[in-house]
Amino acid sequence: MKINRFLPALVALAIIILLGAAFYFLRPHTFHGTVFQSPEEASPFTLNVADGKTVSLSDFRGKIVLIYFGYTFCPDVCPATLGAVTQALKQLGDKADQVQVIMISVDPGRDTPEKLAEYVKHFNPTFIGGTNTPEEIAKIASLYGIFYQVSEETTSNGDYLIDHTATLLAIDRDGFLKVVFPFGITSDELADDLKYMLR
Amino acid sequence: MKHTLLYRIFYGFAGLLVLSAFAFKIFQPIKVLPRIRLSPAFSLTDQEGERVTNEDMRGKFVLYTFTYTNCPAPCANLDATMQEVYERLDEANLGDIPFMRVTISFDPARDTPPTLKSYADGLSANRANWIFATTNDDALLKTIIGAGFKAYYEKKDDGSFTFDPTFILVDGWGTIRGEYRYSTEVSTADRIIRHLSVLADEVNNATGSAKLAYEAAHLFLCYAQ
Repeated sequence: MKINRFLPALVALAIIILLGAAFYFLRPHTFHGTVFQSPEEASPFTLNVADGKTVSLSDFRGKIVLIYFGYTFCPDVCPATLGAVTQALKQLGDKADQVQVIMISVDPGRDTPEKLAEYVKHFNPTFIGGTNTPEEIAKIASLYGIFYQVSEETTSNGDYLIDHTATLLAIDRDGFLKVVFPFGITSDELADDLKYMLR
Repeated sequence: MKHTLLYRIFYGFAGLLVLSAFAFKIFQPIKVLPRIRLSPAFSLTDQEGERVTNEDMRGKFVLYTFTYTNCPAPCANLDATMQEVYERLDEANLGDIPFMRVTISFDPARDTPPTLKSYADGLSANRANWIFATTNDDALLKTIIGAGFKAYYEKKDDGSFTFDPTFILVDGWGTIRGEYRYSTEVSTADRIIRHLSVLADEVNNATGSAKLAYEAAHLFLCYAQ
């Protein structure tokens, strides 16, 4: 008799807990960037990489591709972002091999494929650095919303700098643009979103 | 007796949760505009001969259209829509969000800055509220307008153009949120004003826990008509 009186309340409590858990686990993941539900695939591109080879975005279907536009002379902004990406990949453990990082040069005049390969290797040996003709780079960058221009500033050595949009773009496994991360994204935030995309 | 009451409260609460989820999907209390794709980056020269780039548009809602100043009669409709949206901006309740109009010409050979300037003057436009711009780099122009904004245009042998009249609405993060192909059936200006209002609501309210509700609206594709 006593059990019967408690049972409905216990069942109800269990339902509440289950619903709470369901809400917690099924709630939409909040990305740390702008999320896209684009009906069309991200614009295709081909880059010249070290050893006379070329790579295309479509080579990486099945992987998440992180695209970053930068240049090897870049003093602070690019290393900060690529550093955060490197740390985030470490947090992914084994799953890191399902993410391909590609840096596209906005300085085709100075960045050779070899220089780019040497540069990205310092962050992670799996990263790819690529370039193309100035005309082709202008086209690729425009379609990814990346503005760049030769800056009036120079370094102490007299090297020119390049101002550029410093966003990081994530392409999903099917080749669609999924998230645009703003400059200043931390490795924890990035790892959180990548884990969600790789779930 | 006490426990039965407790049970009812619990059950009622659980039912309410499920119902509210359904209600959200069915009644769509929050409408949003889709995040269609990235707006292309550009560097153009405007009617004052000044450079204008997509980075100058960051933080603003921008309405783009594409035309050429030598266009015969129908193009006046594009200008009229741009003008109407601007004049009725109060209806969209943008709050503190700045709004800009940008007309990009696909005829750089004839639409030099002075030509654009006199055209803009004819519409009482100045670069603080309506930018007219283009670039001499034809290949890049085609990339920006054709591939980036997906607005078709092609030069004909007589120097005139065939093109699809198009308006594009871009948010402050450089994301395309609305595409309007010219139509004579519904007022494009009405739709754009309505969409500006929906967009402003999201930008002004999607903070803290409300952000979750707006993200849910995106997830459930609760798109404004």
